[in-house]
Amino acid sequence: MKTRTKGQAVFRFAQRSEQHVRWVCFWIAGLGLLWLWDLFFLNSPALSLVRTALFNSLLAGLLVVFFSMTLGWGTGLLVYSLEKRKNTLPYIVVTFVFNLIRSLPQIVGILLGYVLLTALIVQDILRSPFLQLVSMSFVVSLFVFLEVMDLIRERIAHYKQLDFFDAMLCCGIKESRIVNVEILRKNSLAHLVHKGVAVFGMALFLQCSIDFILSVGLSTEVSSTNFPATLGSMLARMDSKQDILAISMVFSDPSYVTSLFTRHLQGLNIAFALVFTLVCAYNIANGLVRRYHL
Amino acid sequence: MQRKITEHIGSLAFVAIVFAVLLVLLKQREAADRQARVKAVAPYLSIPGCDFGNPRDRALFNETLNLFRPASPRANDTLISAMESYRQSQFTDPNLKTGAGEQGLTWHVLGRLSLMYLQFVLVYGIVLALTFYGAQSLGIYRFVRMKQGRGSYLEEFLHLVSGPKVRGRTPSRIMEASFLLLKTFLKGAAYAILFSPAYVIGYSFKASFETDSLLFMILLGVVSNGLLVNYANKFYTLLATENRKGYVETALVKNLSGEFFWNAPGGIAYRSILSLPRHFPGHVLQHIYLNARHQYFPTLKEQASFLITGLIIIEMALNIQGHLCYELLQNILYRQYDVVLTILFGIFLLVKVTDILVDVRHHREGLRYENKN
Repeated sequence: MKTRTKGQAVFRFAQRSEQHVRWVCFWIAGLGLLWLWDLFFLNSPALSLVRTALFNSLLAGLLVVFFSMTLGWGTGLLVYSLEKRKNTLPYIVVTFVFNLIRSLPQIVGILLGYVLLTALIVQDILRSPFLQLVSMSFVVSLFVFLEVMDLIRERIAHYKQLDFFDAMLCCGIKESRIVNVEILRKNSLAHLVHKGVAVFGMALFLQCSIDFILSVGLSTEVSSTNFPATLGSMLARMDSKQDILAISMVFSDPSYVTSLFTRHLQGLNIAFALVFTLVCAYNIANGLVRRYHL
Repeated sequence: MQRKITEHIGSLAFVAIVFAVLLVLLKQREAADRQARVKAVAPYLSIPGCDFGNPRDRALFNETLNLFRPASPRANDTLISAMESYRQSQFTDPNLKTGAGEQGLTWHVLGRLSLMYLQFVLVYGIVLALTFYGAQSLGIYRFVRMKQGRGSYLEEFLHLVSGPKVRGRTPSRIMEASFLLLKTFLKGAAYAILFSPAYVIGYSFKASFETDSLLFMILLGVVSNGLLVNYANKFYTLLATENRKGYVETALVKNLSGEFFWNAPGGIAYRSILSLPRHFPGHVLQHIYLNARHQYFPTLKEQASFLITGLIIIEMALNIQGHLCYELLQNILYRQYDVVLTILFGIFLLVKVTDILVDVRHHREGLRYENKN
């Protein structure tokens, strides 16, 4: 009787499964391994901080996806209805505002948003850390949602050209139902999931970058210490920076590489979690493109 | 086209007006705040015989205040801290210092900023050109590999490992598998670098290399923040979409080559992917490439905005002194809002000029494609 080892079974799974499923599994396994390694080699206060930062960053990323989808869907429909009703002035104003947001480098916009958030935190209006995280995510999504809006408009325009749209109208189905249910929910779900994954990666990158910049000392008031810990703010701590700086020691002393994974774990850990998540998000998105021919 | 240009110029004018209004408002508010601060603490600071630099006098004043106004201890504390910060500002406020560097937006500062701006534009132009070229080359490379029916190195490795075993071929299979595993590892390392935020790479090399140089900044701008790999992916997607269109099959029927093997007769030469301008004579890829490039061109606007985000991150996070965004950071810190708004407007102007150039070029090329030119 033919028996199969566990290793072969893993190989078979990896070979047969679709790219996006495989990368989701890689991501979970990678973070799991990292956590195990940390359990053995990272001191418990640092481990607790890293865990909180990772959780906050992932939660913030998911919140950005949620806000971006909601804003993108809403504004996409708004622009579509204005365009359809030939409301020239409101249409011009709305597209002008959106193009203006598009032209503003995201990091600058988010930085300005963080200045506002700090004012709210200093005035004790935003007290709860969860509320702060939600507000941070909302600010990030304000500069990311346009991608979702473009996708929504593109999907509607694509289906509107087909006979399917007119046929449904002739059947007496309301246009709002055709757009929201038939086009977007039933026929564009894969596109939206793909965009959601891309937005998640982008949100993670932007949020970590902004937290890192804040730590450089943008001002005494706008400080990363005002906000909940994320991967970016953890990476910006002096001890984490020193861990990252230690990588360059390998160029002068290659044997030092073994010490990196035990003595400089905090910084490397955070950098790895961030980069690994970004790589996985990219591959999951690509897998979805390949699977659904997006 | 005219409408687009009008919109761009309109948004430039709008932002300029908003910034100007903001500047005036901020200046007014700053002056009012300063006056209010002075007005609130001046009567107490001029109490004869009371030296607020002396901790004993300070403590005495605090106790007296609490005796006179026992119902509002919080207001008393606020007053004490306001007086303390006012006294500190007499020593630390750059506006009150003599012999310090020039404050606010003067002609001299503007001249200095202009030089930094030119340097920023130079770096931006070079990185944009390199990423535009690199993204297309990588996109075509991936597309050709896809047409060859090859998956990732990891997939090839898994295929090899789980495939049927042929007696006597074991050593060569092990060699091949090791080679594929090495390629997988190298590709993984390359991806890790390409997706790393600039500050992670910057700090990794800071102790061993000169990270403040222009060359390092350009290199960092190209390879970090996922810019290259994401836009290569976009170009690849456009190539794959074009490949599904009907004209490709028509072209093949009309005897254009559809062979995608490297350097084979009728195939794709490595150097044709890297050369400029790219030509694939007699090959269907020529048409796929040209059509994909036409659609890719407008994404240059998005790429430009993201690239500027990346450059701002590099200059701010790595504290590269003497560069525009480091200056921006410093001026936010010292609350020189006129300088901050000028720099932000300069950055916005750069994005808008790129948008206009891309739109004009895309429009002209579009006319050529539609045989209207």
